[in-house]
Amino acid sequence: MADKAILYDASRCTACRGCQAACKEWNENDETIPTKENSVKAQNRGSYENPPDLGPSTWLKIKFTEVEHYNKLDWLFTRRACMHCTDAACVKVCPSHALYYDAAYGIVGFNKSLCTGCGYCVEFCPFSVPKLDHYIGIEKAKVSKCVFCTQPGLNRLDAGQTPACVKSCPPKALLYDDRSALITVGKQKVQTLQAAGFAGANLYGEKELGGLHVLYVLNDTPDKYGLPVNPPFPDVATAWKDIIQPVGWAVGGLTILGLVLNFIVAREAKMTQELPGRGKKEAKHGGKK
Amino acid sequence: MAVKSEAVVEKYSKATRVLHHIHTTAFILLFLTGLVLFIPGLGSLARDSYTRIIHRVSAAIFIIAPVIYLVMKPKAAIQAVKDAFDWGKEDIGWLKAAPRYYFLSDEEGMPPQGHMNTGQKLWWLIVVVFGVVFVLTGLIMWFLKTVAPPGLFQWMVFVHDVAFIVTGAMLFVHVYLGVIHPMMTEAWKAISKGTVSTEYARSHHGKWYEEQVNKADKKG
Repeated sequence: MADKAILYDASRCTACRGCQAACKEWNENDETIPTKENSVKAQNRGSYENPPDLGPSTWLKIKFTEVEHYNKLDWLFTRRACMHCTDAACVKVCPSHALYYDAAYGIVGFNKSLCTGCGYCVEFCPFSVPKLDHYIGIEKAKVSKCVFCTQPGLNRLDAGQTPACVKSCPPKALLYDDRSALITVGKQKVQTLQAAGFAGANLYGEKELGGLHVLYVLNDTPDKYGLPVNPPFPDVATAWKDIIQPVGWAVGGLTILGLVLNFIVAREAKMTQELPGRGKKEAKHGGKK
Repeated sequence: MAVKSEAVVEKYSKATRVLHHIHTTAFILLFLTGLVLFIPGLGSLARDSYTRIIHRVSAAIFIIAPVIYLVMKPKAAIQAVKDAFDWGKEDIGWLKAAPRYYFLSDEEGMPPQGHMNTGQKLWWLIVVVFGVVFVLTGLIMWFLKTVAPPGLFQWMVFVHDVAFIVTGAMLFVHVYLGVIHPMMTEAWKAISKGTVSTEYARSHHGKWYEEQVNKADKKG
């Protein structure tokens, strides 16, 4: 099946945050105020933006940025949620395959029951998306992130539905379709914006990290929206998983092999020394005296 | 073969032995609960973070046990750490003679050893150095998750893994030489009961034995 994607058109978004509420509602991410430990507290911080960051039960939020560009003050809106990278660092570092590439939709799936709570994905994600419910304590912990509405029992894609955020969006700033189709739509929109005087307008996510499964039509360059420009795949993840861990296997294996060999040789040598008639000199041949 | 002697000398004090066993238990638990993140096939054992809980409890013991020892026996602790970095000519001699000893039971060429022989000292040095590396990288990963810059955290994971590989492989060597190797006679007795026969002390730790005798002579 062709890869699916979400197209977020920042130029259409009114920041109503219907997507934010729909995401919580569909995925049963209820949150009372004040929220549980390590969760993100919903409170007045002098901004319309709330909560301040993604959290274990906030998988999607609209980020607000105030910038001066095109000779005026502007209030930019950005969708913050899992980008569903083609080259996903989280999948690379996940030790239990809880995070995986979903072959059916091309997204980054998450099997929560396999999650060990190690939190590697939290630190390796270039977009700081996955969040743990517990960090410090000696207790159970699970990571959470947007799963493109594919939770078991709540799978909208399998049912032929669009993701909850897309469904809820009044100005159609969110679209769900084949990724290739959305790239075409996004590029056309960017041309329209550029023709209208937004010189920095661009389509974000087409090439980034092998191609994101959340595409952005932006009025201006990604940095203005707080999005990383050409985010790199973390080198440490590659060095760790593809070099150090195989080396570790080799070192561990060779050590055990060496010890087994040593046991066989040393046992023979000792028996030769202790038992008469087993030829002491024979066992010592070739050795310098 | 040596004539068995009834006389024994103390090799490891009770405090040292207790610390050794607590620390070893903690390390083995840390090793196993770390291993499940290393072997993809075992990942499912780590689900629901039970191994994470064991890892953290063991880590606390791994850190606290030596600290208690340091407070109770500051002189012995400081001396022991100094010993780890005290390397001399005999150590090179030992390293040269070791392969023939451990493979061919050839004791010739083995220089007289101190309280720890060079091999034990090498392992002890690894324990001290990588113990510190483990604790520092581990504490950062534990308590500074999301606070430390992601780049730092990523390198901490990497270094923690390198320490895991080095100490994990050497742990096999340590256990093997202590209890399995055909030539091993009293090393396990030394760490479990605390004493070794004077005969063993003289033949395996000659330098240390001489020191003990001289000390006793001075006192007497």
